[in-house]
Amino acid sequence: MDINKKVIALVSCLGMAPALWAVEKTAQEAAWTWVVNNIVVVIGLGVILFAFYALWNTFEAIIYDKRRQVLAEQGIELKPKEYVQEDSVFKKMYDKAWSLVPIDKEGEIDLGHDYDGIRELDNRLPPWWVYTFYLTIVIGIGYLYVYHYSDIGLSQQEEYSEAMEEAKVQKLKFLFAQSNAVNETNVVALSDEKSLQEAHEIFSMKCASCHGKQGQGLKGLGPNFTDQYWKHGGGVKNIFSTIKYGVPEKGMIAWKSQMQASDMHKLASYILTLEGTNPPNPKEPEGDLWVPENNTDSEAN
Amino acid sequence: MEHNEPILPDQERKGAGQDNSALETFYYDNKIVRDFGIATTVWGIVGMLIGLWAALQLVWPEFNLTQYFSFGRIRPVHTNAVIFAFVGNGIYMGVYYSLQRLLKAPMYSKLLSRIHFWGWQLIIVAAAITLPLGYTSSGEYAELEWPIDIAIAVVWIIFGINMFGTLIKRRENHLYVAIWFYIGTWVTVTVLHVIKNLEIPVSMWNSIPVFAGVQDALIQWWYGHNAVAFFLTTPYLGLMYYFLPKAANRPVYSYKLSIIHFWALIFIYIWAGPHHLLYTSLPDWAQSLGSVFSLMLIAPSWGGMLNGLLTLRGAWDRVRKDPILKFMVVALTAYGMATLEGPLLSIKSINAISHYTDWTVGHVHVGTLGWNGMLTFGILYWLWPRLYATKLHSVKLANTHFWLGTLGTLFYTIPLYWAGWTQSLMWKKFTADGFLAYGNFLETVTQILPMYMVRALGGTIYIVGVLIMAYNLYKTSRAGSLVSEVKAQAPARKAYVSHKGEHWHRWIERRPMQMLVASAVVVLIGGLVEIFPMLVIDNNVPKIASVQPYTPLELEGRDLYIKEGCVGCHSQMVRPFRSETERYGEFSKSGEFIYDRPFLWGSKRTGPDLHRVGGKYQHSWHYYHMENPETMSAGSIMPPYEHMLDNDLNTDYTAAKIKVLQMLNTPYPNGYADRAVADLKNQALKIANELREQGIEQEKLEDKEIVALIAYLQRLGTDIKPKAK
Ligand code: HEM
Ligand code: HEM
Repeated sequence: MDINKKVIALVSCLGMAPALWAVEKTAQEAAWTWVVNNIVVVIGLGVILFAFYALWNTFEAIIYDKRRQVLAEQGIELKPKEYVQEDSVFKKMYDKAWSLVPIDKEGEIDLGHDYDGIRELDNRLPPWWVYTFYLTIVIGIGYLYVYHYSDIGLSQQEEYSEAMEEAKVQKLKFLFAQSNAVNETNVVALSDEKSLQEAHEIFSMKCASCHGKQGQGLKGLGPNFTDQYWKHGGGVKNIFSTIKYGVPEKGMIAWKSQMQASDMHKLASYILTLEGTNPPNPKEPEGDLWVPENNTDSEAN
Repeated sequence: MEHNEPILPDQERKGAGQDNSALETFYYDNKIVRDFGIATTVWGIVGMLIGLWAALQLVWPEFNLTQYFSFGRIRPVHTNAVIFAFVGNGIYMGVYYSLQRLLKAPMYSKLLSRIHFWGWQLIIVAAAITLPLGYTSSGEYAELEWPIDIAIAVVWIIFGINMFGTLIKRRENHLYVAIWFYIGTWVTVTVLHVIKNLEIPVSMWNSIPVFAGVQDALIQWWYGHNAVAFFLTTPYLGLMYYFLPKAANRPVYSYKLSIIHFWALIFIYIWAGPHHLLYTSLPDWAQSLGSVFSLMLIAPSWGGMLNGLLTLRGAWDRVRKDPILKFMVVALTAYGMATLEGPLLSIKSINAISHYTDWTVGHVHVGTLGWNGMLTFGILYWLWPRLYATKLHSVKLANTHFWLGTLGTLFYTIPLYWAGWTQSLMWKKFTADGFLAYGNFLETVTQILPMYMVRALGGTIYIVGVLIMAYNLYKTSRAGSLVSEVKAQAPARKAYVSHKGEHWHRWIERRPMQMLVASAVVVLIGGLVEIFPMLVIDNNVPKIASVQPYTPLELEGRDLYIKEGCVGCHSQMVRPFRSETERYGEFSKSGEFIYDRPFLWGSKRTGPDLHRVGGKYQHSWHYYHMENPETMSAGSIMPPYEHMLDNDLNTDYTAAKIKVLQMLNTPYPNGYADRAVADLKNQALKIANELREQGIEQEKLEDKEIVALIAYLQRLGTDIKPKAK
């Protein structure tokens, strides 16, 4: 690429800047945030692609020499001059990027150093390598500017606040859509196979460590679910409520921030089905005897 | 002359200023090279087998045999063995061979060479004994306790004296690029080792580091990153510069490139450490310096790869046939991959994904298996027939090894990249309604266990290759006999008259001492700029009033946490991401760590973060969990720690620890050391009683280690937690 072409490329890039200002304000802002947020990713990906390309080229450069050498051995000569003439602009750029001295001219750039038989050549630094180096330095300075001397880059605390704000909005939207979902006042036990099976899986994963795999209770940990005694009330409504709000002072987690209402619904229903299953090693009963008949909740059972 | 003729080593151009008159006769010491070669091979096999063991433990916890060989203790044995024993001996092997020849002088002192050899092997043995016993100071790659640290310093300095003595007695006027790398390595490792290991002994096998919290973290990773840079990279580049042109019989591609990439590499490398601490409580400015300088490392690193690969121009036909060159090409390619990947991992948004996952471990092993391993093997295959004046026993076996090595590396690394990405995505995934999609950490672990199995397979393949090499080298040595001394001749070094048009860099190439000083200065700049402000400017670590020193019991619990190597799998650093604060709680603040000596942020999350685990479970949960993790989390791969239920807590050094901490300005009241053990017993009794209330019946519970550990775990991260209602 000669100087003229470089100038043209530069001018056309600059020319695009005003075009950007012509775009509608919000779209412009959105685009700008996106670029800022992802600039590093974009550059990173660019660098990866470039690096693979460069590595590929390194091998190609080596193989190209080899080909010439083999052809030469068979008497076919690839005259460097011919080559240049036939070459595309791309190929010329490529040769320039490497600035390799042909192997047969190597003698001319031998530095005459000899260390235990190791000699050194005076090849130029591959220009593409030099420019990559410059580029990383420029990006480095730009990076420091963006994150420490301008208002563009966010500090990690700011990034965090922004992410939390966004999540809050999303959650509100969702809750709004779900406003008439199950809660402890309207919950009714489920009995379908699928829900109970799902609940069983959640139970094994999240509850069994304290309440036992079969709900038999664990000494020093959670109470038994298979008897008729409940510390915080039996029946689907009370159980739902205990799951949701937990009993933090006794070690029972409040699951409301970690579990969807629908899952707590399934779990409460599942726990009801454990009564009377008589697993081995049950924990002794705790709390009060819960008699469903005396309770409106029994209708739900 | 239209086609290339390889320029042969001894062809013409002896010329310029050298006269061939009075030749001196001297002898190169080959025996020391052979000895280091054997050590490299043997420790390589041992270290990798231990790595394989660790890999198996991560899939089948049954491989955690007794307290001495559980993952937390095995992991540092692996890293120390492969880095300091395998690669370390590899460095010495290559340096002792090449240095003598490049300087046309035998080693300065045979005695020092011997002391160096045996000293280093003893250090390795000491490491192999003390680490399983749990004597560790916990900083990654600097786990060894203070007596061994001192031994390392002594042996390293002996190596330095031997090297500089040889440099002074040299017959060659100029130092070849390989030697620049050796000098840069030597001086930097000295500085790193000393500063990282500033610690005050409490007892023979225990010490407390001088730096705490964020400062300790910065120094750790300034050290840790540069252990990679100046132990796994620069000395190996030096070896590459000698053995590759020798094996290929080709001139080095570009002298200018050597100069630029050497100085740029050592200058920039030292700044990059903070890329291990992105999004942690390290101040933003330090993080940014780490990122930016890592990015700038791409070109200097690639300079080495290019200079190596382009040196093979004109020898490419031989690469196809010669396993030695094949090993070297793959090594350089892996080096190029790792040094490209590294800077990308240093970009904040990418590190947010990779940090704490197997992506890092994958990256590590591209570098170590691909670059260090393959280059070492290439060199060994090249050296052995020369040391034994014979031919390699079997080129075919060497080729087999080459393919096993390459395949093993791929089978090791590819599944880990997959595992890293998978797990990271699972950690960060939210459901539409704002919950963590995988709220149970264990789910994200079981998901990647199949990948761990493939990794173990990859490791096995790689090790089989190494075993084949050991056999091949053994047979080669049996076929010949060791030439322990090689006669050589060269004229004495004459005062050098520099001539016009000479490259300016030739000046320093004639002056090893100036080279030493210059590289020290270049290396110190980055370190000072980052570390100094962190130590002296207070507002880098904003104080938090509610943060208090650990109680004696918590302190002992913390030391158990260190001893067991919990930090190998658990981080204590909640990063400011929604996915982390949701899972673990409030993100970590730098002021919370001011009493943490050493810091325990960790670098890999095989298990969940523990910084906010305090108060999350009941005491009894921890009791059962430590006894056998599977009872509390079915399918957990964490090793059991029943011995903590049986072992009595050692309080012999509690008072001494308090005294040392007071020396380091931890605000315990005056004379507290005398009361410390009594306080400890009180707190232990209280916790033991609480455990009893929760249904645990064990005699003398209050004397056991488990109580101290629980005290520590329950304290973690609670200083700034709003008190429970
Ligand atoms: C067959 C050979 C090898 C196997 C099977 C192996 C296996 C392992 C395993 C299982 C880990 C722990 C990863 C974790 O905590 O999740 C590890 C870590 C490590 N290995 Fe290897 N390894 C091998 C060879 C090597 C070699 C040759 C080196 C160095 C020259 C090396 C250097 C390291 C380092 C530095 C770490 C720590 C990584 C970190 O902290 O992120 N390994 N290896
Ligand atoms: C330009 C060169 C390199 C850069 C900038 C670089 C950068 C990085 C980064 C960003 C990490 C991850 C830190 C984290 O998130 O915890 C890392 C880890 C690591 N890298 Fe590199 N890397 C480079 C080359 C290499 C090479 C060539 C090797 C090996 C020969 C290597 C060995 C390691 C090791 C052992 C770790 C694990 C440290 C730990 O967490 O224990 N790196 N590197």
